[in-house]
Amino acid sequence: MYWKILLFVLMTFVSIAGIAFPIVEKPSVWYEFPFIPGLGENAKIIFFHVPTAWLTVIAFLMSCIYGFKYLKSKNLNDDVKAYVANQLGIIFCILATVTGAVWAKFAWGAFWSWDPRQTSIFALLLIYGAWFALRSSIESEEKRATLSSVYSIIAFVTVPFFIFIMPRIMTGLHPGSADDETSGPIVNFKMNENMLLIFFISLIAFTILYFWMWNIGYKSILLKEKIQKNF
Amino acid sequence: MISKSYNLCIKDIKSELRTRYAINALVMFILVAISVILFSIGNEKIQPELTAGLYWVVIFFSAMSGLSRAFVSEEEKGTTLTLHLIATPDTIFSGKLFFNLILTFFINIIITLLYAAFFEGFVVNNFILFLVTFIFGNIGLAISSTIIASIIAKAGSKGTLYPVLSFPILLPLILTCVQLTIFCFDGTSFDNALYEMAIVVSYDIIMVTISYLLFDFIWKE
Amino acid sequence: MIQFLTDNAIYIVMIIVLIVWTGIFFYLLGVDRRIKSIEKEINGDKNEE
Repeated sequence: MYWKILLFVLMTFVSIAGIAFPIVEKPSVWYEFPFIPGLGENAKIIFFHVPTAWLTVIAFLMSCIYGFKYLKSKNLNDDVKAYVANQLGIIFCILATVTGAVWAKFAWGAFWSWDPRQTSIFALLLIYGAWFALRSSIESEEKRATLSSVYSIIAFVTVPFFIFIMPRIMTGLHPGSADDETSGPIVNFKMNENMLLIFFISLIAFTILYFWMWNIGYKSILLKEKIQKNF
Repeated sequence: MISKSYNLCIKDIKSELRTRYAINALVMFILVAISVILFSIGNEKIQPELTAGLYWVVIFFSAMSGLSRAFVSEEEKGTTLTLHLIATPDTIFSGKLFFNLILTFFINIIITLLYAAFFEGFVVNNFILFLVTFIFGNIGLAISSTIIASIIAKAGSKGTLYPVLSFPILLPLILTCVQLTIFCFDGTSFDNALYEMAIVVSYDIIMVTISYLLFDFIWKE
Repeated sequence: MIQFLTDNAIYIVMIIVLIVWTGIFFYLLGVDRRIKSIEKEINGDKNEE
């Protein structure tokens, strides 16, 4: 129960701090953010956009882990957990893509420009889509669970490649890219302590929120299955 | 195990040569795809980058239309159970992989020859690099498509799902291969392309490992 | 009034975000509670989770 209150307090703090704290040239008070060249006021999106992208990856990792668990145990509950993790994952993936695109319109002048990060998130979106397409095409529950577990593991294995090839193939516009001179890597250098603190609080709050939603999601599906079995 | 998977591969080739369904359909598919591209280009002179992209587009889609047959045809003919009896999953996967490798190399050599004949931009300046790219790219393509084909064969809808499932898995490979092909056209030296080459090779190795590990679960389903 | 609102647009955004977040939070709280009660009803006194 306490962590729910904690979540509420953290997320409220992040929404207040992330949106309302002013960005100034030379921060002197603790609630002022530094001005990052090339980003300006747009930098505030980091408190909301990055956590969604982070959750997309977490959800992907969880579906891979539970897929692996399912293959070992053949327990259908694990498949349900992977399913709910992916359901939330695709929601956060779309959120990350859309918030990123809106931000890109103001920062780069176009909604979409095939930046490495954008390409990666697009590939993730494709993987999520393919995963759900695969699931919907199979009738039998065990078969569906096995095949989708296998697919999520195969897909997860290919993801590290994007990290290595994207920067070589495309020029990076995204803050934090390897060849970004003006504003990156912001996580390490350009954010001052309070900005970093709020950023990590935001990550924690979003992660708690994700696990809570995931918990509710898979419990409801398990209950539904139990009821169908009993009556 | 190797002799058994070799026999399996020979059996697949023989049954393929008897009907020539896949080969005929694939060759026609390649011709149609390339002629559509040629029609749409017209008299335009296209850049090497675009040629490299179009080259891999045709390779990807012809692989998607042909390589799923290895497992789907077993499922269609109802011979899956017999295979279960005579061989272990590893053997079956090796056999199918050999067959798909041969098929991939066959169709991609045709595609390459056609491209070399009809596209002005398709001038390979670094032949060794192109050869290495071609070999490792095709191996990766064959491995990924074989494991996805085995998933597809077990799933219900066969035709449309295959490219959907394969594309995200093949995307790193195809992007890197397009880049490498551009290098070949530019005449970049082998040393400069080593990073991309390493990615392709490690992709092949990782996919082989994970395929052999996971094929057990798919096959027993 | 209008001038005040345009000057402080960022605070209005903040208030809207807070309202939305509070709504989501209490909705989730309600769903969580409901699921727990159903779980109790089905499982009887033994709690598996």
